[in-house]
Amino acid sequence: MKRLRLLLVLIVILLMTTVGFMQSSAQEEVTLVVWDNFTREAEQAMIEELNARFEEAHPGVTIQREIYETSDLTQLAPRALSEANGPDVIMVNQGYTGMGALVEAGLLLPLNAYADQYGWWDRYAEGLHARNSFSEDGQEFGTGNLYGVSNTAEVVGVYYHKDIFEEVGLSVPATWEEFEAALQTLADAGYTPIVFGSLDGWPAIHTWGAIEHAYSSLNEIDDFIYRREGGTFVTEANITAAEKMREWIEAGYFTPGFEGMDYDNATYGDFINKAGAMWITGSWMTGSIIADLGEDADNVGFFLLPSATGEEVPLTIGGVGLPYAIRATSEHPDLAAEYIDLVTSPDAAALLFEQGYLPAVAPESVEENTLAGDVVAAWNLISSNNKVGHYLDWTAPDIAADIQEMMAGQVSPEEFVNNVEEDYKSSE
Amino acid sequence: MQNLSGNGALPSRTFMQRLRRKSVVPFSNKSQAILFILPGLVIYLTFVLLPILGTVRYSLHDWTGFSPPEYIGFDNYRELYRDEDFRKAIGNNFFFVIFYTIIPILLGLFLTSLMSRSKLKGMAIFRTGLFVPQVMSPVVVGIIWRWLFEYRGPINQTLTLIGLSEWIKPWLGDFTYAPYAVGSVGSWVQYGLCMILFLAGIQAINEELYDTAIVFGANPLQQFWYVSLPGLRQQILVAFVLTFISALRVFDLVFVLTRGGGPGKETIVTSILVYQNTFNLNRAGYGAAMAVTLATIIVAISAAVFWLQSRNDDTNAT
Repeated sequence: MKRLRLLLVLIVILLMTTVGFMQSSAQEEVTLVVWDNFTREAEQAMIEELNARFEEAHPGVTIQREIYETSDLTQLAPRALSEANGPDVIMVNQGYTGMGALVEAGLLLPLNAYADQYGWWDRYAEGLHARNSFSEDGQEFGTGNLYGVSNTAEVVGVYYHKDIFEEVGLSVPATWEEFEAALQTLADAGYTPIVFGSLDGWPAIHTWGAIEHAYSSLNEIDDFIYRREGGTFVTEANITAAEKMREWIEAGYFTPGFEGMDYDNATYGDFINKAGAMWITGSWMTGSIIADLGEDADNVGFFLLPSATGEEVPLTIGGVGLPYAIRATSEHPDLAAEYIDLVTSPDAAALLFEQGYLPAVAPESVEENTLAGDVVAAWNLISSNNKVGHYLDWTAPDIAADIQEMMAGQVSPEEFVNNVEEDYKSSE
Repeated sequence: MQNLSGNGALPSRTFMQRLRRKSVVPFSNKSQAILFILPGLVIYLTFVLLPILGTVRYSLHDWTGFSPPEYIGFDNYRELYRDEDFRKAIGNNFFFVIFYTIIPILLGLFLTSLMSRSKLKGMAIFRTGLFVPQVMSPVVVGIIWRWLFEYRGPINQTLTLIGLSEWIKPWLGDFTYAPYAVGSVGSWVQYGLCMILFLAGIQAINEELYDTAIVFGANPLQQFWYVSLPGLRQQILVAFVLTFISALRVFDLVFVLTRGGGPGKETIVTSILVYQNTFNLNRAGYGAAMAVTLATIIVAISAAVFWLQSRNDDTNAT
């Protein structure tokens, strides 16, 4: 009996507290739910600073922030956005299976009116908004309504160790021929010219994709990515780029055993420890390199892979990062838009830049001869000249496996482009 | 009897009688049974059977996972039939049966024969140590082996050290060796389960059989072959079915070791395809059709094995 009474008392207490809690949260306070992918420890202060500013400007508004890794964010987004109390503001992945599917299911709010109101169109180059745009039915990519605004940018280029270059008498290659000559010079001097690891699959998309972009025109790549009339993977440029990749592998220009090396530890470690002279990867590594190398970071530079077709500004893989979008059924769309305006503003860009990010809104002044300065200059060059290319897996989800097969010589360059084409056609 | 109850040796008996008498009164045996089954049944229905039925239903729909499902009959299954990736994945699953089932059972038998007949000091430690891989989280196992298989990792370092540097391979990224590398990790995980099952089974074998065998001059190998092995038939069957199911539904190890099936699609398995279709490609209906097909294969083969076994027992009995 005693125990029973105790249990009853406990239940009553529990009921009272939950009812009290429900009452207190029922008061007219607005909670804006925001999902983003800024997971690194050092980034928390930056986002919290922005959120504090927003809450200060809007008394009664609380921002409830949830942080996810990009892959988790992408997988949770459709289900979360279908919920009545899902995130008001959320970062969504670009491309057909990301933003396209969400638009098709009617889960995202078109942002055109807000873009007019806040002047988002002028935040960055016009062509870049296409990456966050879809037709209303979610079928056509790169056209129609705007569904997201990005605050970061990415460019896939070449990180290099300045002291190794100096030692073997190299300067930053300005042409494709100079770049290939540099590879040979470095190999002759006993260095691994390019650190590379393809175990994770996706780094192969970036490394081979960089070569592919050097041979291609923006039209070819745009047609392929946006599935425009005549868009195809079977191009002369792609076959040549695959042949070039095989040639470089056979010449020993990449890390030996790259098939068995992962990105985060092995490849990154190799570059940091100067086991190789160059690394073809994205601007997102700048922050880590600066953090890990400290003062030595300025010994690392960044340049764009030159064009193999003699273009002055090379076509380069890149784009704007995961965009912020608004849930179609959000009860506070205006507030959500205002939040997006803040986190994509030049002020936010300055904070992002401090964290080693490449902000979509170019910082006004950068120090020259620093790694961050190099990266910003490279981005400014390609975005102002309309030379920003694409990640190929946006439309060919299996391409990493196809590239691995091609690199291992399991298939010829011609078979390779045909395999990707098949994947491209079947994933339509 | 009466005075015995006073000395404290048997109050439990009277207690049991009272209990039995009391509980029998309000219920018939049948309703009582149902009452006891009910909680488990409700949980089973809600969390196992309903989702399975849901999966079957979705497999007949074109469904992104969040849009309204559109009924398309058996189209998903028709597509599945022509899907080369799916065929490759199922083929890999059966390839992994060698590593998940056959090698662990042989290894388990070998270890059991070593451990059961000799009295070694510290046997409990060995037994526990050998069982550890089985109880570790597959993700942890995957991360450890990924590191071991690293191109400049411990395995290749050891090979260099002992002068076999020409054997060095980018194991998990090599088109020829990656399936064996992933499979061998599976063997490492599964043999512990087989070993423990066999060790338990061998203790149930009548010691007199061994004594008789010894009297007739059987050496340890013959004892194992003629006494232990036949006595372990049931345990081998259980080990076979359990590890076989693991081989067909493997996901986590492949997901961690080769990032979901690389290089190319050399190590891709069905569960990975189910996952990719459902969550990455927004093809939940198609993924469901794959899952249903895989489940059907597993159930069919398990049922066949048990049926063969029971028939075998019947013929032995008569």
